Amino acid sequence: MLTSRAATIAGYVAGFALLFLVWHLASVFLVRSVLFPSPWPVFERAWVLIEDSILQEQILASMRRILQGFLLGSLIGIPIGLAIGSFRPVRLLLEPWTEFFRFIPAVAMITVAVIWFGIGEESKVFLIAYTTVFVVIISTAAGVGAVGRDKIRAAQSMGASQLQIFALVALPATVPYILTGMRVAMANAFVTIVAAELVASNDGLGKMLWDARLFMQIEDIFVALISLGLLGFATDRVFRLLIRAFAGRFNPTM
Amino acid sequence: MGFVALDGVGKVFRGRTGAWEAVRDFTLSLDEGEFFCLLGTSGCGKTTVLNMLAGFEAPTSGRIMLDGRPVSGPGADRGVVFQGHDSLYDWLTALDNIAFGLRLRGTPKAERRATAERFLKMVGLAGQGAKHPSELSGGMKQRIQIARALANDPRILLMDEPFGALDAMTRAVLQGELSRIWAETRKTVLFITHDLEEAVALATRIGVMKRGPGGTLKAVVPVDLPFPRDRTSDGFMRVFREVHALIHEEIHGAH
Repeated sequence: MLTSRAATIAGYVAGFALLFLVWHLASVFLVRSVLFPSPWPVFERAWVLIEDSILQEQILASMRRILQGFLLGSLIGIPIGLAIGSFRPVRLLLEPWTEFFRFIPAVAMITVAVIWFGIGEESKVFLIAYTTVFVVIISTAAGVGAVGRDKIRAAQSMGASQLQIFALVALPATVPYILTGMRVAMANAFVTIVAAELVASNDGLGKMLWDARLFMQIEDIFVALISLGLLGFATDRVFRLLIRAFAGRFNPTM
Repeated sequence: MGFVALDGVGKVFRGRTGAWEAVRDFTLSLDEGEFFCLLGTSGCGKTTVLNMLAGFEAPTSGRIMLDGRPVSGPGADRGVVFQGHDSLYDWLTALDNIAFGLRLRGTPKAERRATAERFLKMVGLAGQGAKHPSELSGGMKQRIQIARALANDPRILLMDEPFGALDAMTRAVLQGELSRIWAETRKTVLFITHDLEEAVALATRIGVMKRGPGGTLKAVVPVDLPFPRDRTSDGFMRVFREVHALIHEEIHGAH
């Protein structure tokens, strides 16, 4: 167990080292342009931004919006998904909604979000919640539908009420699906927050990207890009750990 | 009238491809404490009979009574052991699976635990209670299913080919264990199988079904052999031959 974890970490370290090496070689030998800096000046710039607390502020601004919108979207999506999966009339009524809205990307909603909520926090939280909610609904509903028939029958023949079947069988059996939906939604949230901050924001990593482009601070652009990659990577690991802790033990395929 | 009475029970499934008569005019009476094996070829409707008695399916004709009361829907008086181990709750430990029925009834935790431990021991898995189903073998999972059904103290145990998916050696071991558990608890058992030897090894009576569609009871053979059964004894061979003759023509007509 420990050795396999050590191997995983060693793999991450080596993988990232290789990525930076390829980047370095590409910038020094292939592109050779001030528009494509090598890793070192970017790391130096990142260190300056960290010392001045600027990078942390941008990261915090973006992550706060992501978390708020993500939690809001999940809190709305999970019960709706459970209802769609459990009750046929609800499914018939709400499935057109989910099938309709999931094809309108959050990026396309930026325009109305800004008109409705302005460029403050509300518009960003709305967009993240929007992008989260449909993914969570669909995967939660699918999870309820996938609960094995014999699991429910077994509970019935032990005297379970409808409510008990829902709370003690359907809900726990659906948790891995809910977490998987939330994981996918989190990836969408990263896409959405950058787009939203590019268009309308006073801070955040998207705003940092936009400002750096205006002032041709090429290193700042790369610092923002790397921050996004690392943040997304870390968040996704946390989700994988959560899914393992809740579900891996009883669902080895995940 | 018997403890369990199925009286002229029939079941027709209607689907997009038309109607399918699974069971026709099925009549059977079970006494309390007997171990009844329902033997039949695949597609003869034996599982449908069990599902109707369990209350999972409603009969389209006839009626089913348990201890003088009509069966309508599933209930805690009829414990079910399923063929697959899909019915176990993967997120619960073996012990919590066994205690599930008691939890539904609000039994206090300490009592629940003691009862579950007792049945865990009865199925030969003492000390394995903290494991999750994914950590147990196929045979162990079926033991947990049996313990879970028994811990709920049903009036009758319904078993739907519970050892069908196991390898021959594990199956023989579990048959022996089930026979011992039945002798200890004297639960009424309805056991569905297509395995002739299994039926003769376990049953106090064997019901042979006609092949489907419209499967029904063809004959009932009492098995007056002492427990534990000796599969090489003359008596065992005699019953085996008798039941074999009954099922033989169903097998060879079915394909």
